[in-house]
Amino acid sequence: MIWAIALHEWRRLRSSLLFWLLLAFAQLVIGWLTFAQLEAFAEIAPQIKASASTLGTMDLVITPTLNSLVLLLLLAIPLLAMGSLAGETRSGRMALWLSAPVSSSQIILGKTLGLWFASLPLLLSAALTLMALGLGVALDWPRCAAAFGGLVLFSLWLSCVAVLLSGLFDHPAAALAASYGVLLSLWLLDSLSEGTANWHWFALMPHLTPWFEGLVRSQDLAFFLGSGSAAVLAASFGIARRRGEI
Amino acid sequence: MNALLLARQLSYGNPRRPRLDRVDLQLAAGDRLALLGVNGAGKSTLLQLLAGVLAPTRGELSILDQRLDRSGPNLRRHLGFLPQRVAAYPELTVAENLIWAGRLRGLGGAALGPAIERVLEDLQLGDLSQRQAGRLSTGMLQRLGLAQAVLHEPKILILDEPTAGLDPLQTEQVRELLRGLATTHSMILATHLLDDVQHLCNRVILLDAGKKIAEHPVTPDSDLLAHFYQQSSVHGAMDNQ
Repeated sequence: MIWAIALHEWRRLRSSLLFWLLLAFAQLVIGWLTFAQLEAFAEIAPQIKASASTLGTMDLVITPTLNSLVLLLLLAIPLLAMGSLAGETRSGRMALWLSAPVSSSQIILGKTLGLWFASLPLLLSAALTLMALGLGVALDWPRCAAAFGGLVLFSLWLSCVAVLLSGLFDHPAAALAASYGVLLSLWLLDSLSEGTANWHWFALMPHLTPWFEGLVRSQDLAFFLGSGSAAVLAASFGIARRRGEI
Repeated sequence: MNALLLARQLSYGNPRRPRLDRVDLQLAAGDRLALLGVNGAGKSTLLQLLAGVLAPTRGELSILDQRLDRSGPNLRRHLGFLPQRVAAYPELTVAENLIWAGRLRGLGGAALGPAIERVLEDLQLGDLSQRQAGRLSTGMLQRLGLAQAVLHEPKILILDEPTAGLDPLQTEQVRELLRGLATTHSMILATHLLDDVQHLCNRVILLDAGKKIAEHPVTPDSDLLAHFYQQSSVHGAMDNQ
């Protein structure tokens, strides 16, 4: 049933104009950023060679572009997620979901996975653009794999959190505003706080940048999997409470 | 007589000003029960409680002798619900909306195709199967809603104002469809139209300001219903003052 709901959600998102517009916009931005970074790299390449620095395409082209991709995902996934629960409530379709012989956790897991599937084409198109650089320069493939693995996990985490926030509101615009508020705060937390602050653990970027450096750390896995699962549980609890199951 | 659906003292909302106040209701096999009342009487709230969309603040609801809040979600398989606003995705076709509704109600691959073909034929939607739901007229959309409600052959149909917003011709078409469905399903429908009650139901509950004020068998004597209806309107007007 989770699979059926996920496929339905993916089909629904794929049929919307918003999905294709976001995909086109993201591709345009990633393409432009890649070439802009590449041009800047080409200009300073002789100086890098002269100074015997170890910096290369990965550090000066791919990693900055991936940082921009993180921001794009932070903006795109809540836009897609606002319809997943708040939109269903607003349109009156939530009645059919709640009266269906499906458990609350199945609804939430299905919707989360469907949203995640919809974010994957965006990631895939960015990956293909960046990997195309491999035709001309030597890339660190294991580091690339770690970076995209991190982004795939990050998009799943974003889907969990965005669905939770979508379930807290009856209006998609309110859900979107709340999602942007929460997610951009987590994104900015790193630059606003000292590394020693207790709440620095919740900052997003310190859990993402190690992946871009080729490091797969258990604490980052624990952050994404732990808080993502907590979001799914909380969203399921919200639906179960609406139906009087709790 | 065993009840398919049994509601005891169902209440919903703030205890000081409940939207629904201690309503008892019973539905047996073959029953066609109407909930009659003016706008705001609590009909839709009661139907949403019966369909498991809302949770009662007090009281209990059983389907086939099992408590809805204590059993797993599978008990909802016996319910078919048509909400006041038809729950369809405008960007998906009629067939895709039915596939979604069927899967959501546990119809698997082998059973889903024939079930969709059956409801498309029964509800005269065959020619529209590839049309986007957003491009359907109100009457066609209502038929799509009914198709979603009966797709999985539930024992109990819960219909919220199935003829609301339809023109006279569409109203008659939907009533004809409902008469057909009433031969094979037990049904609860909310309406504020006496004609719906007279044509479709064998029992009527009158709701006013969230309370059940009367329950009667439906007879050909429409004056009796008109009397109850008038009574509820008077109550509503008095409450507003």
